[in-house]
This record gives sequence, C-alpha cells and structure tokens, in this order.
Amino acid sequence: MKYIDSAIVKLTDVSKRYTVENLALHRVSLEVQKGEFIFLTGPSGSGKSTLLKLLFCAERPTEGTIRVDGMDISTLTPSQIPMLRRRVGVIFQDFKLLGRHTVFDNVALSLEVLGLKTSQVEKRVREIVANVGLIGKLEQKAIELSGGEQQRVAIARAVVNRPPIILADEPTGNLDRDRTNEVMELMEELNARGTTIIFATHDEKLFENTHRRVVRLENGRLVK
Amino acid sequence: MIAGIIYKRALSDIRQNLTNQAMTILVVTLSMLLLLFFALFSFNLRHFVEELGSKLGIVVYLKKEVPQESIPALYKRISELKGIESVNYTSSEDAFRKLKKYLADEQQVLEGVDATFLPPSFEIQIDRAVFNIERIREVAAELSTWKEVSKVQYGQEWIDRLEVFSGLTQRALVGAGLLLLITTAFVVANTIKLTTYARQDELEILRLVGATNMFIAGPFLLEAFFQGLAGSLLATVIVYATTQYLQSLLSQHPLFKEVELVFLPLSYTAGIIGGSIIVCITGTAISMRRFLKL
Ligand SMILES: Nc1ncnc2c1ncn2[C@@H]1O[C@H](COP(=O)(O)OP(=O)(O)OP(=O)(O)O)[C@@H](O)[C@H]1O
Ligand SMILES: [Mg+2]
Repeated sequence: MKYIDSAIVKLTDVSKRYTVENLALHRVSLEVQKGEFIFLTGPSGSGKSTLLKLLFCAERPTEGTIRVDGMDISTLTPSQIPMLRRRVGVIFQDFKLLGRHTVFDNVALSLEVLGLKTSQVEKRVREIVANVGLIGKLEQKAIELSGGEQQRVAIARAVVNRPPIILADEPTGNLDRDRTNEVMELMEELNARGTTIIFATHDEKLFENTHRRVVRLENGRLVK
Repeated sequence: MIAGIIYKRALSDIRQNLTNQAMTILVVTLSMLLLLFFALFSFNLRHFVEELGSKLGIVVYLKKEVPQESIPALYKRISELKGIESVNYTSSEDAFRKLKKYLADEQQVLEGVDATFLPPSFEIQIDRAVFNIERIREVAAELSTWKEVSKVQYGQEWIDRLEVFSGLTQRALVGAGLLLLITTAFVVANTIKLTTYARQDELEILRLVGATNMFIAGPFLLEAFFQGLAGSLLATVIVYATTQYLQSLLSQHPLFKEVELVFLPLSYTAGIIGGSIIVCITGTAISMRRFLKL
C-alpha cells in the first residue's frame, strides 16, 4: 500500500461531477512534493474547495486516481477514512468549531480521537494554543471569540496532532490585513518544520511576492 | 484509553442534555411499568392457581368390595408415591358419621340407610415444595389405574379452567411484551435521531478530525445503556413498592386476608431489565447506523 514517491499528493486525471450539468473538476493532474507550500487559486466557483475536499475524502472523485501520503484514496473504504483524516489537517473558511465548547475542548478533539492520555492531550493543547497566541482564552467558549481568534483556534486544531499535510481553504477569507499576516506567518512556520501545505485562496495579494508555486484553476481545469 | 474518553464524553453529554435524557428514561420507565405490571398479574394468577390446586388435594374413592385388611397396604403404597405430603383414610363408617353430622337436623333422610353405603376413601395432600399441577394429574392418573380404586377427584375442572386462563394471559403477556419492547425501541431510536440531527454539526466535525465510528457512536451507546438500566430499575422499584402497598391493604381486609401477592422472581426482573437495556442499545444503534452511513 505504501507508495515510494517524493510526491505526497498526486492527482491523476481527476474529474468531479456533482450533477449532470455541473462538472466541478475536469481531468486535473497535479503533484505536490513533500514539504512544499503551494497556493491554489482561481475565481469563485472554479473548483478550489472541491479539489481540497477530494483530498480528505469529504467528496469522492467521479474519475481518476488520487494518492495522499502513500494511500490510494480513490479506493478507500469508509472505515479507512478516519486514518486518512488523522494524516491531513484541514482548516475551513467557516472554521467549523464547536461554538458551545471551550477553546481547549475544540483543539483537544484532534488528539482525543487518537486515544491520547489526558495529561498528554493537555500538554500539547496548551503548547499549540500558546503558539497561536490564545493561551489567555483557553477556557473561553469558541462562540465568544472574534473571527480572527476563531480562525486561529481552527488552525490550532488542524495542526495539534502534527499531520504531515495541511489543507487550508481560504483560511484568511474573513480576516483583516493584520490577522491575515499572522495566519500567513503561522503557515510559514509550520512549513519550515516540514509540513506540506496546500493553501486555497482567491486573494492574489497573498502570493504576489512569493517564490511559492501557484496553481490556478478555471472552470474546473488547471491552467498553470 | 478510547474507552475512557468515550465514557467522559457520554457523561458530559448527559449533563448537557438533561431534559432529553429525562424524557427518554421516562418513556423507558413507562413501557417497563406496563410490562412489569402485566407480568406481575400473570405471575400472581399462576401462583394463585397452584396454591388453590395444592389446597384442594386428591380424593381417592375405593371400591366397596376392597377388604378392610388391604387398607394398610394401600395406605403404604400411596404414601410411597413421589411428592406426597400426607394421606388420610376415611372408612365407610367415618364417612357416614361425617355426613350425619353435616346434615344435623335433616338426619332423618338417612334413616334405614346402610351405614356402609358410602365408599371408603383416601385424602391425599401433595407436598407443597414440589407441587405443580402436572404432578397432581400424574398422581391422579396413576391412582385411577389401580384395581382397588373406583374414582379419583382433584377439583380438575376448576384447575383446568384456571389453567387455561392463566395460559392465555401468559401468551398475551409475551405478545404485549414484544409490542412494548418494539415500541420502546422505536421511541428511543427516534429520540436519538432527533439528538443526532440537532448535533449534526458536532458529529460532522468529529468525523472531519478523524474520529472512528466507534468514537462517535460509543457515547450514545453508553448513554443508551444507562437509559435502559435507569428506566427499568425505576419501573421495578415502583412496581415493587406498589405490590408491598397492595399487600398491606389486602391483609387489613378480612375477605382477602388469605390472598398472598407475590413479587416477580429475580429471573423475571433481571430479564426485563436486561431486555430494556438491549432494546435501548438496539434503538440507538439503528439510529446511529443510518447517521454514520455505514
Ligand atoms: N455539494 C455540491 N453540490 C453540487 N454542486 C456543488 C457542490 N459543491 C460545489 N458545487 C459546485 O462545484 C463548482 C465548484 O465549487 P467550489 O466550491 O469547488 O468552488 P471554489 O473554487 O471553492 O469557489 P469559492 O472561491 O467561491 O469558494 C461550483 O459550480 C459549485 O456550484
Ligand atoms: Mg471554496
């Protein structure tokens, strides 16, 4: 099952059709190397979110094969999906936090599903929450935080279990310039430690001065 | 370790959804109450029939030509049958005397009648400890094949009738019990379905961070276990208290002093509690199955 290849993510001729008339992705082939930080861009509706969803099995491809971290996920059975998701941290544009739960509980979730000891969960959650600058709000409910703070909780939850791959879907979409920069710094830091990052955004400013690879989608097709 | 976290999640869940929990337990309690009362009624009816049967005993009438000398041998043979508590012999003369005493003022009807016109008889009491209606029938059937015996009586009509009735209620109990259990499963399944709908976002998030189905469903199954246990225990306590209360009322009443109410044996109650737990877990599992898209 292990795939000896430097590409940690590899899509081959992947198409995704939601409805008969709606083709969200059309024969997309893409390789992302281990430790790479790439931007995925394109206009609204071009298929960025769809591509990311395919990578953590929130959607299944209509055609083509997908490999993520050595797993052929086009043939993954439902019971194998949790294993994939523990290897892939996802940051959502709408955060997807448990509003009624505390910051601690939200971040701890990623570790609890692994069956870690309470003491270990506590140590790692504190560490990562301090890292995103929210240690003072550890016991506050997620719903009581600002948008930027919630986004940082979402990032903390995605990275606390140290996944080799991070998928970020417009993680700065709701943030002002300063907050955006903070998030970008966090991402750079993670990438510096070896995490592969796929960052979807339609905000050109985020990558205009970067040496990073930028991949562009238009109408479900890869254009660059 | 996962087990510990599932337990913790179940507890915090119960704390956060107390009303929901209380409603489910209430439904379980009500169904189990119905089931228990019905079982109690059926069980007591059965008990009553057996009591009655054991009090009635068996009367064996002998043929008139049986010689007096063979009585001790017959007495011995009857006493040696299995499960016999006591045997009493009544000779023709004794029977005549009893009848005379019974008739009292109307004795004249017996004038000129031979004092031996009544057959001699044995009265048999079956040992209460080993009593059952089948045993009475067997003993009666065996006795009636003896050449000295003319007739065996044991109040069979009464017992047969009561037995048919008690058999019917027993069957009705099983039927009603099954229906009640199915209903409970439905209600519990529905409650869980509503809960999962209300918390779809939360369960969705759990899935996204890589929770296994067991991790997601575990707390719900554990809660179902608690609900089944709590509901049926509560019902058992209520029924037990009611039985005690009714018994105290009955014992004060001169007419019913003799009537003894018995509570269900441990095996019945254990069965009902176990059934309640299984039903709650099954209902939850069915709802979760649909939700988890297995
Ligand atoms: N669940 C769905 N069912 C049907 N169609 C969908 C679904 N999700 C997305 N689509 C369609 O697929 C296409 C691509 O959508 P997608 O969300 O991937 O775009 P996007 O590039 O992420 O856009 P945005 O920048 O606005 O987030 C769109 O036409 C969209 O309407
Ligand atoms: Mg999108």
